[in-house]
Order: sequence, then C-alpha cells, then structure tokens
Amino acid sequence: MPALDIPFFGTLVLSLILISASYTMAVAMGAGQGRPHLLPSARWGTYATCALVVVAVCVLAYAFQVHDFRIRYVARYSDRSMPWWYLIASLWGGQDGSLLWWAFLLAGYTFFVTRWLRGRYTELQPWILATLMSVLIFFVVLMLFAANPFATYIRTTPGDGEGLNPLLQNYWMAIHPPSLYLGFVGWSVPFAILVAALITGRLGNEWVRAARLWSMIAWTFLALGLLLGCLWSYEELGWGGYWAWDPVENASFMPWLVGTAYLHSVLIQERRHMMKVWNVFLLALTFFLTIFGTFLTRSGLIASVHSFARSDIGQYFVWYMAFLIIGIGALMIWRLPKLKADNEIESLVSREFAFLLNNWVLLGMMVFVLIATTFPLLSQWLRGEEVTVGPGFYNKWMVPLGIVLLFLAGLGPLIAWRKATGSKLLRALAFPVGAGVAVAVFQLLLGARLGYPPIVEPTEIYDTTTGTVLAWMSAVAPVVSFSTCAFVLASVGQEFWRGMRVRMKRGEGAATAIFRLVSKGRRRYGGYIVHVGIVFMFVGFTGAAYDVEQESALRPGDTMSIGKHTVRYDQPRMEADPNKRMIFTDMTLIDKAGNEKGQVAPAKFIYRTHPQMPTTEVAIRSRPAEDVYVIMSTVDPSTRRGTFRVIIRPLVAWIWLGGIVLLLGAILGMWPTGRELLREETARPRRFRFRFSSATAAVALAIIVATIMAWVGVASAQTDSSSTLHAGSVVINDPVERQLFGRLLCQCGDCARLPLDTCACGWADDKRAEVRELLAAGEEPTKIQESYRAQYGAAALAIPSDEGLDRALWAVPVAAMVFAVGLIVVIGRRWQRRGAEVRTAVKVAANAELEYDSRLDEELERLEES
Amino acid sequence: MDDFLPWVFIIGASAAVVAGLISLWLSLSLALSDEVAGSARAQLDTDARRALLTEKEALLQEIRDVAFEHDAGKLSDADFEELNTKLRAQARHILHELDAGAESFRDEAEALIAERLSNEA
Repeated sequence: MPALDIPFFGTLVLSLILISASYTMAVAMGAGQGRPHLLPSARWGTYATCALVVVAVCVLAYAFQVHDFRIRYVARYSDRSMPWWYLIASLWGGQDGSLLWWAFLLAGYTFFVTRWLRGRYTELQPWILATLMSVLIFFVVLMLFAANPFATYIRTTPGDGEGLNPLLQNYWMAIHPPSLYLGFVGWSVPFAILVAALITGRLGNEWVRAARLWSMIAWTFLALGLLLGCLWSYEELGWGGYWAWDPVENASFMPWLVGTAYLHSVLIQERRHMMKVWNVFLLALTFFLTIFGTFLTRSGLIASVHSFARSDIGQYFVWYMAFLIIGIGALMIWRLPKLKADNEIESLVSREFAFLLNNWVLLGMMVFVLIATTFPLLSQWLRGEEVTVGPGFYNKWMVPLGIVLLFLAGLGPLIAWRKATGSKLLRALAFPVGAGVAVAVFQLLLGARLGYPPIVEPTEIYDTTTGTVLAWMSAVAPVVSFSTCAFVLASVGQEFWRGMRVRMKRGEGAATAIFRLVSKGRRRYGGYIVHVGIVFMFVGFTGAAYDVEQESALRPGDTMSIGKHTVRYDQPRMEADPNKRMIFTDMTLIDKAGNEKGQVAPAKFIYRTHPQMPTTEVAIRSRPAEDVYVIMSTVDPSTRRGTFRVIIRPLVAWIWLGGIVLLLGAILGMWPTGRELLREETARPRRFRFRFSSATAAVALAIIVATIMAWVGVASAQTDSSSTLHAGSVVINDPVERQLFGRLLCQCGDCARLPLDTCACGWADDKRAEVRELLAAGEEPTKIQESYRAQYGAAALAIPSDEGLDRALWAVPVAAMVFAVGLIVVIGRRWQRRGAEVRTAVKVAANAELEYDSRLDEELERLEES
Repeated sequence: MDDFLPWVFIIGASAAVVAGLISLWLSLSLALSDEVAGSARAQLDTDARRALLTEKEALLQEIRDVAFEHDAGKLSDADFEELNTKLRAQARHILHELDAGAESFRDEAEALIAERLSNEA
C-alpha cells in the first residue's frame, strides 16, 4: 500500500472542501447578483466541491479497509476481525463518520441537481447552488472543528480497534441509515430552491414545480428510511415492537409529517395559486426539522437508544438553527407582498379545504410529538424535575389523530376541487360509508369469534377524566380503525372505478381505460395508491391491540402453548465464526392437529470484541394473519434448559406490505413529474431528455432495490438479528400487565431505566411479581402507578402526571389544534366571500379573448394525446 | 476482496482528485473570462416565457381535471360551467401573453432572414 499520512491527507481534503465550497458559494452569489457570466463557473465549482467530498469518503473508507487505527474513528468503530462489508458500513456507524456520510449524500444530490439545472431556472440556479453550498459548509465546519473523522490519537495507537457495536453488525445497518439520510439530506434540495425563489422574488408556481420532484424523492426516501427503521427495531431489538416513540425515531417522523403536509398543501398552490406563505413555511419547517432532528440525535441532550455519544457539536447546531430561523423569517417577511394568494377558496366543501384539514391533523401530530419529545428537557429546565414520556402517552394520543388523518385520506378524493355539489358529494360518500359501516357491523357481530374483538379492555393512564376519555378512545380504536380502513379502501376503489367508467364511455375497453387513467394521472393515482399503502399499514398497527405473549422455561422436548400455536423446544446448538460465537435453540412450531408447521431458531450472539454485550437474535415466522415472534431469553449450557418468550403479533405483515405499496405509489406519483418538467423544456437537446428520464428511473430503481433488500431481510430475520437491550427474562401474562409494565420504569440503577415490560434485570423481575400481586388483589392500575410515582419519583414513570405543568404536555397541542381548526374555518369563510368577488372580475376579462378558444381546444387535445 | 477493496478506494479517490482539479480549473478560468455572458443573458430572457408556459400547462391540466370530475359525477352542470368558463378565460389570457412575448423573437427572426437574403442577393 502507498505510504501516505492518511489522517493528515483526510483533514487536508476536508479543508479543501471548505475552501472550494466557500469559493463556489461566493461565485454563485455573484452570478445571482447581476453577473450571469459567473454561473458556469459556479457550476464547475460545485462539481469540484462534490469531487473533493468523494475523495474524503474514499480516504476514510480506505483507512477502514487497511485498519489504520491511528485514526480515532476507525479504531472506535472497527476491528481486524470485521468483514469488509461491515467496514464499509462503519463509515456511518458513528458520529464523525456519519457527518462525512451526510456531506457525501449532500454532494451526490448537489451533483445531480447541478446537472439537472443546466439550461433551466437560470435566475434561481445561482441561489440554489449557493444555498446547497452553505449547507455543505455547515457540515464541513462541524467536521473540521468539532467531529473530525480523521482525528488521531494523541498518544499511542491501539493494536486493534474496539469494533462496531454488535447492534449495528447486521444487514439493516447497510440499508437503513443510508436510506434515512437520503431522506433527511434530500430536503436540502427543495429548501435550496425555496431560498432561491425567496431571494429572487420568483414566487409563482415556478419554484413549486422545480421543487416537486426533489421533494417527492426526499419524502419517499424518508418514508423508506422510517419503514426500514421499523423493520430493524422489530427484528433486531428483540422486544417485539416496531416503533417505540424513541426521541430519534420521533426526530425522523416529524419532518416526514410536515413534508407530507407540504406535499398535499402545495397541490393547492399549483392548482389555485393559494397558500403561498403556508407552503413556504411548511417546506422551510421540514428542512428545519431535519436539522433539528440531527441536533437531537447528536447533541446527546435527550436520552435515546439511538443517540450518539454526548458531544459539543450541539452548540454548532443551535447557531445554525438560529441562523435558519432568522434568515428564513426575514426572507419571508421581505417577500410577503409577493406571497399573496391569486385566488380565494370558493367553498368549504372542496378538496382544498379537505387538504387544509389534512394539514391541520399532520401539523397537530407534529406538535404533539415535538412537545412530548422535548418535554423532558423543558421540565428539567423549567422546574428541575426529570420526567419521561413513554410510548404509553404517545399511543393514547396519536392513535385517534392517526384515525382522523386516515379518514381524511378517504374523504379528500371524493370531494371535487373548488366546490363540491352537496347531492353529488352525498352520492359519492354512500359506497365508502356503507363499506365502513358494514365492516364495523361485521366486526361487532363476528369479530370476537374470529379473534378480533371490536372493543378491547379500556386501560387508563391517568386517574382523571382525561384518562377515562383516552382509555375509551383506545378501547374502541380497533373497530373505528378497521371501519375507517374499509372506508378509505372503498373511496379509493370508487375513484378508480369512476375514472375508468368515464374513459369507457369514450369507447375504451376496461383494460385500456384503467391503464390510460393511471398513466395520464400518475400523480393523482400514485397518491391514491400511497393511501392504500397507508391503509394496509393501519391494518397492521391495529393488529397490535390483539397481541398475546407468554414466557416459559423449557427443557429439550418440552412444549408451550400460546393462542392456537404450540412451540416445542428441540435442542441448543453452538456455532462460531471469526467474529462471534452463536448459541441457537432449535424449536418446532406445531398446529392444533399436531402437525409440524415449521422450524425457528432464536439465538444469542457473543461478539469477540463485546463479550459483555451478548445479543438476542429473534426468530420470526411471518404470515398475513399473524407473526409468531420467538425470543430466547436464557439458555443454560449445562442443563440445556432455556427460557423463551413467544409473542403472537396479529397482522404485522400488513405494515411491511403497506410500506411496499406506499413506495410503489410514490414512484408512480414521481414519474410524471419528470415528464412534465421535460415538457417545459421543449427547446432542450434530446440527450437531456434521456438523462432526466434516466435519473428518475435511477431513483425508482434505488427505492425498489432497497425494498427488495428489506424484504430479503424480513425473510432472513431469524438468522440475522440482534439485541442487547432486551435480553433476559420477562413474564407478562395479559394486556393489562403489558400496558402497566410499559408505564413503569426500572429503578435498579444499573440498567438504562427500561420499562418493566422489557427490562430483564432481577430488580425488574421482583417488581413485576410485586405489581402482579397487587393486580391480583384487585388494585387499580392507575393506583399502582401513582404509588410507584410516590415511591420512586416522577421520573420513574413513562407517563407524566395529569396535573400542573405536566398537563401542558397534552393541553398545549390540543389547544393549538382547536385554535387552528377555528382559524381554518374563519379564514376559509373569509376567502369564500372574497372568492365570489374575484369570480365576477374574471368573467368580465374573459369575454375579451374569445379568439383563442380554438387554440385552447387544440392544446387540450394535444394534452389528452400526449 | 480484502486486498482488492483498498485499491478500489485509492483509484476512486485518485479519479475524484483529477475530476475535482479539472472542474476547479474550468471554474476559475470561466470566472476570469467574459465569454459566456451573452448566452447566459439570453437564457435569462427565456425564463419569463418558460414561467408562462408552465402556467399554461397547469391551466390546461386543471381544465382537463374539471371536465373529468364533471364526467365522473363530482361536479354539477352549473358548477362545471362556471369553473370551466373561468379557467378557459385564464388560459386564453396566458396564450395571449405568450403571443405578445413572441413578437420580439419574431421581429428578430424576420430581421435575420432579411439580412441573410440580402447577403445572398
């Protein structure tokens, strides 16, 4: 290998990136300020900067491959026994490297955007490049001054590295973080387009169209990243769930919520030239939340299983976020006159208004998540008291909000743009409402017999009116959710059917009609398919209400029964590779008739570099109706006796299926964007057309490949999953116990204050037994919760109390949502009144230009044929 | 693979260094010259026209969608008439503006043709 001072060279390249990006930003700003001849120079400067980022990544990847342990980051996240693919994944396994990876993805986006911009959006272009460079500069400054991935040890260089965290040594490490980062980083592009539009004052539909494809790409990658995160959690962390409302999960979820609101709201601007300020706000907020989320993850301010080590990079983020708020705020105020709506809403019963309500729910959910995520910090600052907000709180509030959002997803397509006629809307609602009611009645009559009772036992998290209301909302959630799913499916199905019939009336056959319907309205029908994906996911989420779990200690040959399944423990088995020892326990699933249904092999992996962190490998047998989820808690090598936890999780597979449908719908919806943009560029040389189509295809291909890889990952879950967090023995007998244990945090002082439904330490086991006795004696769960709080303090509960400042946790978002819906109705009514005046004015102008009618008809025919 | 991969990254880094240096050289040389000013300015002139074309496409799409929603039974005849009239009026206005904007190009083209013809003569 060549003799080269890698750490010095890496740091030198980072410095060069900073210089090159600053130079490019300056040249681009010059181009934007009346020196257009500088634009090609800025473009080449951008390419040079991107190339330098590639150099830096290659240098770090090289250092990993040759085990250059002089570099601190390489020594901390790799060791000599790691295979090459984990050495590559280590690039983003820790804080410093993941910042470089972030810069690399941003450089990738910047490269493609610069190529795409050639010959278009000439006035916006300099500012787009300058903004992208400014974001890159921020990350390079972070690396150079706070988290240099090429930093070396001051004294001795270790002979071997510490190795990648065992939790990260799995298949998901290769695809989940890159996908999530692609989603996070991707929002930089539409944000840069927005900033360019604000600076130049070109705030019509031009920037919206320019940002459309890029925001769709970012949204899709973020959705894919979240989905892969759920899969990772489900298959690797071994606690049986897929979403724990961990602060870092929330950090990714918040920009997705606001990004979703933006994608809906921007349709109103495109069609009606309305909501301009709101769309600017939403897009800026989405980008801001990606930075805020990164800050939460990396500053170490909030405890999370995902977070990186506490570091001082937080202060850089605080400054950058302050800069963003002031900068965007100032630009928005400056451009307010140009952001005035050209049209007004014509009716409160219109698609526009349904989108406003959709925005209301999405933003409401975001505010809930934001307040709940930051509440522990706020509580600490305001009153010096530590509190924890756990999944129990989120689930109680987010489930009803999610169902409202789902309902709107079904309602929106039924309402016409601008103005829905009452009788026609009622006719359109008949079938979907009928489908929803039919499912509800079916479930009320037969649900319990089929294993899906319509109402589950209400469990209160507070001993107050709020607690009772929340308990009942979650108790009826299954029947409401399933019937809303049916409503949305029927609504989407009806939309396809009605569209098909319109085309069939024009003489097309059924197959041609459906094909042309979708191909000519890819964005609309892609969106509907996304809604179908969301419905499938909700079916899966609702299945969680029927989870059953049991734990047993077995000897080889013993069986345990759970639900309609019997699980037989056959034998333990040990294997080894250079990196780890693996202890498998072979088990057989047996049906009621005594037939063997399949084999599973939950395991423990003990890594050479982290022997103190044995990981739990869950085994999952997945079917559409339910997953059988088997965890080996302990196994005694001498007696071969093992402790196993088996969870039956109904309908989970529908979440993954829904995710795939959602991604397919997103790809379909993205496709026409490229074609539409090409149509704007009729004068463009033909080779560009090819390139742009190729770029769209490449994004679609990347998403499809990632989805397939995820699916392969699901299939291979039982041989490739790990966890240290939830190893050990946990016994939970019924849903009441599960929910209550989920709200009580372990207080042993050694573990990471896990809830009692997952913590396997002895203290937690004793406490569970104690609580179980109290429940058996007829004590109310809320009373047990309160006495636990009285005994160990407020921080011992995953649910803050329903009194004092804690009440702000739900009262603030609820008040904000009530205020917002009132505001929406008032503004809507005002717009409606003004809309009537505008309509009259346009009619007068219209009569003057009748000679263009025939040309208009020709253009419409061309559009239909294209 | 263990021996091969480091070389992949060395070659990748080397190629990126070369690409970066060439790009930087081109950027600097273009920044110091004024050759492309004309074409860059010409590009700016077409931006306004492109915005109008975008607007026209959006309106055509909307007219088509309103007709579709009417055919699908979502809009009453009266509402359809009102919306369709309004949208067509807006679209006609955009067509008019596009024509007006094309006048300067037409004059320029005619002047160029006349010049060419006079040269040939």
